[in-house]
Amino acid sequence: MGVSRKLTVIPERCSGCKLCEVVCSINRFGANNPKKSCIRVMVIYPHPVIRMPIICKQCKEPKCRENCPTDAIVIKEGYCEIDEAKCVSCQQCVMSCPFGAIFLHSDLNTPFKCNLCEGDPQCVKSCPKNALLFIPEHTLGQAHRMASVLKYTKMKEVEYVEKGERKILRYADIEGGKEE
Amino acid sequence: MKVKGGYFKKLLFVDLDKREVRVVPLSDAFCLQYIGGRGIGIKLMWDNLNDYAGPFDHHNLVVIAPGPLTGLYLPSSSKTSFISISPATGIYGDSSIGGSFGVELRQAGYDALAIKGRAEKLSYLWIDDDEVTIVANEHMQGKGCLETEGIIKHELKDDHVSIASIGVAGENLVRFACITADWGRNAGRTGIGAVLGSKNIKAIAVRGSHDLPVFDLPRLKELSDTAFAKLRGHKYFSFWQQQGLMSVIDYANEAGVMPTHNFRDGQFDRAEKINGYEMLAKYKIGDTACFACPMACGNICLVKEGKYSGTVIEGPEYETACMFGSNVGVDNFSCILKANALCDDLGIDTISTGNLIGVLIEAQEMGLISEEDVGGMRLKWGDEETIIQLVHDIAYRNGIGDVLADGSLELIKRMPQLSPIISQVKGLEQSAYDGRAAITMALGFATSDIGAHHARAWPLAKELEMGKEWGLEEKVELVIYHQTVRPLFDMLGVCRLPWIELGFDENTYAEFYSAVTGVAFSLDELLEKSNDLYNLTRAINIKLGVSKKDDYPPERCFSTPLSSGPHAGKVLNRDEYESLLALYYHKRGWDENGQPDMKRISEMFNDTL
Repeated sequence: MGVSRKLTVIPERCSGCKLCEVVCSINRFGANNPKKSCIRVMVIYPHPVIRMPIICKQCKEPKCRENCPTDAIVIKEGYCEIDEAKCVSCQQCVMSCPFGAIFLHSDLNTPFKCNLCEGDPQCVKSCPKNALLFIPEHTLGQAHRMASVLKYTKMKEVEYVEKGERKILRYADIEGGKEE
Repeated sequence: MKVKGGYFKKLLFVDLDKREVRVVPLSDAFCLQYIGGRGIGIKLMWDNLNDYAGPFDHHNLVVIAPGPLTGLYLPSSSKTSFISISPATGIYGDSSIGGSFGVELRQAGYDALAIKGRAEKLSYLWIDDDEVTIVANEHMQGKGCLETEGIIKHELKDDHVSIASIGVAGENLVRFACITADWGRNAGRTGIGAVLGSKNIKAIAVRGSHDLPVFDLPRLKELSDTAFAKLRGHKYFSFWQQQGLMSVIDYANEAGVMPTHNFRDGQFDRAEKINGYEMLAKYKIGDTACFACPMACGNICLVKEGKYSGTVIEGPEYETACMFGSNVGVDNFSCILKANALCDDLGIDTISTGNLIGVLIEAQEMGLISEEDVGGMRLKWGDEETIIQLVHDIAYRNGIGDVLADGSLELIKRMPQLSPIISQVKGLEQSAYDGRAAITMALGFATSDIGAHHARAWPLAKELEMGKEWGLEEKVELVIYHQTVRPLFDMLGVCRLPWIELGFDENTYAEFYSAVTGVAFSLDELLEKSNDLYNLTRAINIKLGVSKKDDYPPERCFSTPLSSGPHAGKVLNRDEYESLLALYYHKRGWDENGQPDMKRISEMFNDTL
């Protein structure tokens, strides 16, 4: 088993183009139908302005599994899946997912959810804004950690020109740090 | 030939007079001849001419048509056309939007929607797959587009429903009222919002669940994977995501073709205060994209301080920034955002509105109209307050706004002295490119089937690139090629920006079409159909009274030289224009008065639905 990876979203980057939805439906069901995708872009406007894809977080203690009366939700390598043979389509999982990441469609007999394309999520590749990432589990939160560091050290910026190109160098402002 | 995908072969026909909804089957031959989108709209307008008795008469038809490629996995497959006989011009009119409205309409299982008649009370149309209802909603009277969208989503308890609505301006039959969908995508031109208003249709809500029909999905996937990779690898790709169409401000200003002070000049001395960099530095808070579009040209902007603080808007794009910026002398970007937000919510076209406000300001400056003529208003370039006030007045038809609301043709009737300073063709106010710097642009505006809009032809950059030693023949051919290929995008239901801005090969669209429909058309074959339909819009317009006299650019192009920029001193030469127009008619196969072979066209398009 390789590195455990997580599908994660940076909502600030999402433009709402729904390419992820189209690609998902083609890959998963062989249909060009965003309503059959395991990822859904939510758009709220104008107050507040948010575009955010909803994805299955592949919880390690999945509520959907806990509430499934027929044990139809099975854990695979890094993702869980609905076993269609066991599923009775009672929709308990749909209602119990805290993120609303399990979906229904009138053409389909059972609910459906993200299976990370069995380890190679196509939505990530399709995203033209790089708002979807598939990264090693332990690196999750790294951006926030780095932001905290930069904030603490009161980083200053200085602009300079190198080979005719404008560049920015950042450094920790020692004086500023002493004031606290 | 058999169509194996791309179409549901269904037209949804709503007769509001009879409160009747029916599904009209479309034959394979029909789909192949009219392709979709604007093509279907043109045919339905042609067939409806016998019933037609004025844009606001209940017999006028509104057609809303995505194309066979809309909603599919290919770049920028979001486009839907709105087609009607325009209240602004009295002739054929159309306008298109991106967003996802058309995708939803297709997923509901229809290739197009046609609306005729008039609802008794203000209503909205609710299309939920096979279930179509006309829902009375008088409580939405006077509501803005955004509010209307919010209310309907709330009432239907579904945030994923796609909604196109009209604002106050549409209800008040402002002749350049637009239709707003998906929170801020506008079918802005030719006033089709007012036609919906005359039909008492406040909004159309759609929800669809069907798979879109594709003949060869693996082939489409293969073509599109390559296409997306190509676009994403383009050197200007990330620049496009950052600025979108706002980058055109710098281009147009430097080229000296950016309408300034009511099209008097082509360069604005404070352009850097209204350009894309100003937007990025202070206003932009997010990107937004239409369905399946990697380019994300939509900018979401917020005014964070000052008197317009709190204004949030999807926009502006170039046209709006220019028409509410340089064209009216405004150098405050937050004021442009405010005007844009107002226009979106009230539901009026920013191009026509900014154009007409510019006319009024110049008219007063020149002494062509007095303060009394405009209700005591003192108009000045860059006077934000009166400009914002005029936007309101137009939408609500107050005072002078009531006159402007009827568009340039009516304005010329009421105040004939303004005629020489109004930039319009066939009654449609000119969009934000100058016609003097490049004569092909003037020809493009003058011969466009809907009036002075750049959607049909934008040969300007090419002409400026080519320089002087460029024959008439090549110029005419370029305009005709543009007028043939650009409408094809509206027929297929895709956006033309990947082609224009990122050099995407137009031949690929023929490959997409073949993969989707199973009918192997080459680009040339598709262009031939597009050209046939251009002749058909001409025939419609001839029947509605258009003649050679309507194929001229605004008078200003011949009489007022540009005063600054690389083309300072330039005006169009009348003789050169005359020979260009004559050659244009000849190349199109029209007679010397611009009349196509009406008998041949009637025979060619006499098929019945």
